[in-house]
Amino acid sequence: MKIIRLIVAALVLTAAPLAAHDMWIEPTSFLGDIGKIIGLRLRVGQDFLGDPLPRDTALIDQFISIDSTGRKPVYGRDGADPAGLIHVAEPGLLIIGYQSHPKPIVLPANTFNQYLREEGLDAITELRARRNQTNSDAREIFSRCAKSLVYYGTPTAAQGDQAVGFTLELVAEKNPYTLRAGQDLPLRLTYQGRPLPATLVVAMNRANPTAKMTARTDKTGHVTFRLQQEGIWLTKVVHMVPAPAGTNADWASFWASLTFELKSSGTGAAAK
Amino acid sequence: MRCAVWCAAAVVLLSSARLQAHEIGTTRVAVVLQQRSSYEIEIVTDAAALVEKLEALTGQPPQSEPLPRGAAISQAQLHAYDEVFRRRVVVAFDETAVQSAIDYKVSGVTAATSPPVATIRMRGSVPEGARRLAWTYSWTFATYSLTVRKDGEETTEWLEGGQTSPPILLELPNRPLSRTAIALRYLALGFTHIVPKGLDHMLFVLGIFLLSRRFRQVLAQVSAFTIAHSITLALSIYGVVSVSPNIVEPLIAVSIAYIAVENIFMCELRPWRLALVFGFGLLHGMGFAGALKELGLPRSEFVTALVTFNFGVEAGQLAVICAAFLLVGWYCGNRPWYRRLVVVPASAMIACTAVYWTLERLRL
Repeated sequence: MKIIRLIVAALVLTAAPLAAHDMWIEPTSFLGDIGKIIGLRLRVGQDFLGDPLPRDTALIDQFISIDSTGRKPVYGRDGADPAGLIHVAEPGLLIIGYQSHPKPIVLPANTFNQYLREEGLDAITELRARRNQTNSDAREIFSRCAKSLVYYGTPTAAQGDQAVGFTLELVAEKNPYTLRAGQDLPLRLTYQGRPLPATLVVAMNRANPTAKMTARTDKTGHVTFRLQQEGIWLTKVVHMVPAPAGTNADWASFWASLTFELKSSGTGAAAK
Repeated sequence: MRCAVWCAAAVVLLSSARLQAHEIGTTRVAVVLQQRSSYEIEIVTDAAALVEKLEALTGQPPQSEPLPRGAAISQAQLHAYDEVFRRRVVVAFDETAVQSAIDYKVSGVTAATSPPVATIRMRGSVPEGARRLAWTYSWTFATYSLTVRKDGEETTEWLEGGQTSPPILLELPNRPLSRTAIALRYLALGFTHIVPKGLDHMLFVLGIFLLSRRFRQVLAQVSAFTIAHSITLALSIYGVVSVSPNIVEPLIAVSIAYIAVENIFMCELRPWRLALVFGFGLLHGMGFAGALKELGLPRSEFVTALVTFNFGVEAGQLAVICAAFLLVGWYCGNRPWYRRLVVVPASAMIACTAVYWTLERLRL
């Protein structure tokens, strides 16, 4: 026990601070019910420790929900938390999507380099080195591309996630609500609608977020995680490219996330 | 083991907040400095998010699900984490952290989807002689607003979680001024109330000057004016006399016009002129009193301030007369054309200006 305390103290004293924060959607409930109103909280933070983001109309590019009847905007009051409210009207899988407009930021060189390392953006690190920019501050624009899957009724494999058209997007290739703990969830990563290979994707469970699973996408943009634990899951990925001309930035980053709940078999939710 | 690792990770994560500018969250912080002797800092934040971070930092296993919106997060629960909360909040005066008294409150939940809100108040005394306050709050990952209220002014800026605020400057409490300093200050205020701020009073004094070629005549009128305005200035300041500025200010303008018109039509000083100037002096004194009330009088040196302000007014008037004498009176006061080319045109201009002021002050 004393050794553990020492390890913890050493970690606390020596750990380099993380430089980037994730953004994800945390519904007030992942399980819908006909007539139920679900609050959609936007959260920024790290490892499921997050702060709520109130609705900022100026920042929203798209805030939508997709159910069996089609695609609808998510409404909410500007400045309110939860940022959006949805009314569960149809059984099945409900896809929630939030994409923000780009937001500018200037980061000191050290912070930016550290953030590139943490997010596995090795290609950008190399590009900066080739451009002799490693020691230069970075002007960046970042966009959020968050999705969440809420479910009502008896899940079927036919009711799956789908691409909603975000710039960077994680798509679950199996309905997570049909899975049990210990089963695989295949994901597809796309950038501007095309598969994005060799990109680091991270998956974590809310009950144990430090036990992260990481994998890089294959040539077809696919990655698969074995979800060993029930509960709420967050999968996330960061992609960065040189900023387009006219944006007054050096780099453009895109932060995609996908949240869902893996139900225990006892609830009956995971039956195929 | 898992708890320990989680605890360590939480510390690392929370310490990183300052490095990345993010979207604006729901946390709001207000710093109120009262009389520069005490401070109160109010933090309004999402109670559930705060409790989750507090739990993480104390090594408790994370909730498998978010705290439900209707979850009872009690003040006692936040109080229990008091020591942990303090670790990541710094109130520092001149780079020295101070200990604050903290109250925790949690608002009731009004709807299933509305989150409980924690209001945390930190209070304490400003150390004697402190010049700067710095604030650091590391319990949020998002950008938050810091509002500072002091001296009746309010400023707001955006900070990242974990970022130390720019120094909030605290001026030292004003030391009481000495009698000499008060006398000099009010002497200067009285003088500047005439030169350059009191154009109406300057024109009145010039009107007195223009009709009187002899020094004795000018002195007599200025003395009558001074005695009169001293009387009403004192009576008004002590509240014995109170006439609305809506009446006094137009009458002051009328008095200037009268003096100027009389200069045009009278060649010599008449006996009643002295009485008239005395009467107008009473009016102007009430005007001076209004200005002095706006400036304020120190309670401790009330009489000193009143008397020296009056002397300042007098010095201003004498400065106007001296300047006029040096410019025109000394060289051409005895010339045959002095009245035709100086007194009448100058008086006419003064009269026109005063009539305009009269109409303006009557809002006609």
